[in-house]
Amino acid sequence: MRNIIIILIFLLLFPLTASISAPRDDYLGQLEKMAKQFDDSFSGFSVERGKELYFRKSTTGKAETPSCTTCHSDSPLKAGQTRAGKPIDPMAVSKTPSRFTDIEKIEKWFRRNCKSVLGRECTPIEKGDFITFLMSQ
Amino acid sequence: MKNKNIKQIKVWDLPIRIFHWALLVLILAALLSGFFAPEWWLNYHIWIGYVIIGLVIFRLIWGFFGSSYSRFVSFIFSPKILLEHIKGINSNQPIYFLGHNPLGALMVFALLFVISAIIISGLINLGGIENQGPFAFLIDYATGFIAGKWHIFLAYLLIIMIFLHILGVIFESKISRISLVRAMINGKKPNLANLDNKIAIGLIKPQILPTISIMAIFAIIFIGGYFLLSRQAPSGFILMEVNEDFQSECADCHELYSPSLLPASSWEKMMNELDNHFGEDASLDIETTKNIAAYLRKYSAENWDSEASNNFMIVDNKAPYKISETPFWKERHKNIDENLFKTKPVKGKGNCSACHADAELGYFHDKNIKFRNKPVK
Ligand code: HEC
Ligand code: HEC
Ligand code: HEC
Repeated sequence: MRNIIIILIFLLLFPLTASISAPRDDYLGQLEKMAKQFDDSFSGFSVERGKELYFRKSTTGKAETPSCTTCHSDSPLKAGQTRAGKPIDPMAVSKTPSRFTDIEKIEKWFRRNCKSVLGRECTPIEKGDFITFLMSQ
Repeated sequence: MKNKNIKQIKVWDLPIRIFHWALLVLILAALLSGFFAPEWWLNYHIWIGYVIIGLVIFRLIWGFFGSSYSRFVSFIFSPKILLEHIKGINSNQPIYFLGHNPLGALMVFALLFVISAIIISGLINLGGIENQGPFAFLIDYATGFIAGKWHIFLAYLLIIMIFLHILGVIFESKISRISLVRAMINGKKPNLANLDNKIAIGLIKPQILPTISIMAIFAIIFIGGYFLLSRQAPSGFILMEVNEDFQSECADCHELYSPSLLPASSWEKMMNELDNHFGEDASLDIETTKNIAAYLRKYSAENWDSEASNNFMIVDNKAPYKISETPFWKERHKNIDENLFKTKPVKGKGNCSACHADAELGYFHDKNIKFRNKPVK
């Protein structure tokens, strides 16, 4: 009897968790396709490269924002802060489950933040690496 | 006093004495809070003003229903008597008046007049500039601004008049050898009158009932009117409809700024340069950008009538859309320690709502400044 209840609860919750992460998986799928077009030798996103991007010190962007850590703090598990002082929820998916679930929002911030920090838009590979890194945290 | 046998007469009734000293205390409090207190004490200043209104109205009524020497008829003098009074002073043979003497009486009327004018100009100033009080719905910023100048000018005039009044009292006390100050405390003066005004001797009893009834009527009119009027929407504050794009896109990195805080030209420039927004890329898609730009233009400083909007209209040309670089902003915040802007919970000049509870509405009323000398939690 107890087992049945637990299974029932799992069955009820499954579509919920699935529906939260579905856009993220969709988006990663899209990125993967683009990444293959972008680079023939592409063989999957990398946590390591994503981590490197997160902590990279860049000199090609705006002086005020040398790194993703400028706003997202020096740990994906910790809350960050905008330059104007407004708190930013942690980037790690384990801390903020709603991360990377609204494609328009992700695209908007990748466009802005990559331009601010790197001085250019991020490539599909960089985007996928970044998200993969934060899903692993 | 040299002659103890002379009969002491009750000249100043109790209500007039209470009125006199209460007025003194309140006027001093009003002057101090007006000239020296920080902006967020404004409400105390205003409440002092409302109590003074009550006192002045009482005085006007008591001028008709009080006891003999409180009544205006007892100190409205003909020019002839006024001249005689002045001549008497000049020739060192002053005429002694039991109640107010002619020059003193003129001062009493002048004081009542100037105090009333200060209160009226203050209420117009409050309504126009701070958008508060009973006239907020009626008065625009420009009118409030002029009224404010009058308010201050009249306050200086009042200070001068108070000094003259005190000099007059000292002088009269000296030449008559009767302390007018003591008379205003115990109400009594010796009956030495060699010339007095017409009703001085026939003592008139105060009429309490009419006084109270009329006071009650005034109280109902004023308090009722106050609540009715001060609840009207302030003039020049149009209700801004909610714009979802603006609310979601412009509050990601900082608090939402009221469109009324910058002129349309500044907003336009900002919206054209979103990809370099204070050293950050804040760009949006064209559709959203257009939508927000239209909203900002609709409710820009030109289309709003608060103290903040009128003053932020003048921007610094080197930073045309930085509110905290406008001359008015810098002037109003110059006494604030730079370090305060850097530390929690303020964290930046642009974090208006850390110190202004009504920042998002664009009001910036003095009474809503949460900030004291130290940041408050
Ligand atoms: C100037 C400050 C700042 C910098 C620097 C910055 N970000 Fe962000 N980022 C933000 C803000 C603000 C948000 C939106 C707030 C939120 O999502 O909680 C955000 C959100 C994001 C999002 C969307 C997250 C989601 O839930 O959809 C991504 C992706 C992102 N940033 C990537 C980056 C990358 C990559 C870098 C470095 C190249 C970077 N950011 C650097 C401020 C910054
Ligand atoms: C990507 C982050 C970001 C977004 C999105 C953003 N801003 Fe800003 N904004 C900033 C930063 C950073 C500053 C400068 C803060 C400072 O210097 O203290 C700023 C400053 C301002 C200021 C000046 C504040 C002051 O101190 O005077 C105004 C006004 C302003 N923003 C309006 C807007 C409007 C309107 C929008 C929406 C179209 C918007 N911002 C969207 C980051 C952002
Ligand atoms: C550190 C706290 C603090 C911050 C942050 C702050 N203010 Fe103020 N502000 C004050 C204080 C205190 C006064 C009153 C100063 C005085 O006149 O003595 C004031 C006065 C004002 C006034 C004049 C109000 C009046 O009725 O006289 C305006 C308008 C104003 N601030 C707007 C702003 C705006 C807009 C921002 C954000 C861009 C801002 N302030 C940020 C503390 C702050």
